[in-house]
Amino acid sequence: MSIGDLLFLFIVGVTLAGALAAVLAGSIVYALMGLVVTMFGVAGLYVYLHSPFLAMVQILIYVGAITVLIAFAIMLIGPQYRRPKEWTTLGKLGAAAGVAVVTLGLFVKFVMEVFPRTKAPAFTVTTKQIGALFFKDLVLPFELISLLIVVAILGAIMLALFARGDK
Amino acid sequence: MTDFFYNHLHVYLFVALFLLVSGILGLVYRRTLIGMLVAMELIMNGAGLNLVALNRFIAVENATGMAFTLIIMGIAAAEAAIALGIIILIFRKYRHVEGAELQEMKD
Repeated sequence: MSIGDLLFLFIVGVTLAGALAAVLAGSIVYALMGLVVTMFGVAGLYVYLHSPFLAMVQILIYVGAITVLIAFAIMLIGPQYRRPKEWTTLGKLGAAAGVAVVTLGLFVKFVMEVFPRTKAPAFTVTTKQIGALFFKDLVLPFELISLLIVVAILGAIMLALFARGDK
Repeated sequence: MTDFFYNHLHVYLFVALFLLVSGILGLVYRRTLIGMLVAMELIMNGAGLNLVALNRFIAVENATGMAFTLIIMGIAAAEAAIALGIIILIFRKYRHVEGAELQEMKD
């Protein structure tokens, strides 16, 4: 077992633990921290999948933008927030066990059968090829993404403007 | 010597499946809209990891899976912005963000 293997297992464990924390934590702030941990773990897995560019984009967009956005929303909603009833600790343990069993069952039943164990092929795709793909074959989806983001910005502005009058 | 854990497709697929299942559990379990949004982001992360892992192990000659993961990230950003705007509007109007108690769409 090499150092890369140990690091990989650590990243996988952190990702799984973060996902469970994001779902089962009692406080929504802890859930957000679990989401951040999960996203960093997925970024580490991207590095192991030979795509460091995706890892950086993952950290920039998910950790840098989306979680900050959710944190802002939590802060805006914060003090008057009626805390809803959550499950008991026993229920949470049961839910965690259920997630583990369902995941393992689906994994053994479908994934292991559909994808055979083969040796990992050599992988030489670089960031340059991703960029070339976006400018040659995927031009239309790329432009549609920019259109979607413009519409989302306008929609958010309109929501904020029209909601100011009535309270 | 070359048989490392990180050279196996199944490990990545297992992590992605775990993210999907725990995200679905979160959608069912959380009562507030923000908690459901956090679970939604988990599901999107799982989808992205799945695409990149399959690109690296099955379709090694092109970068389509990575490109689609980038597209998923863009869509997730737009979706989170709009969803949080709507959640804050709901909070201003009803003073709570519990999904089950929102029973009317207009006024």
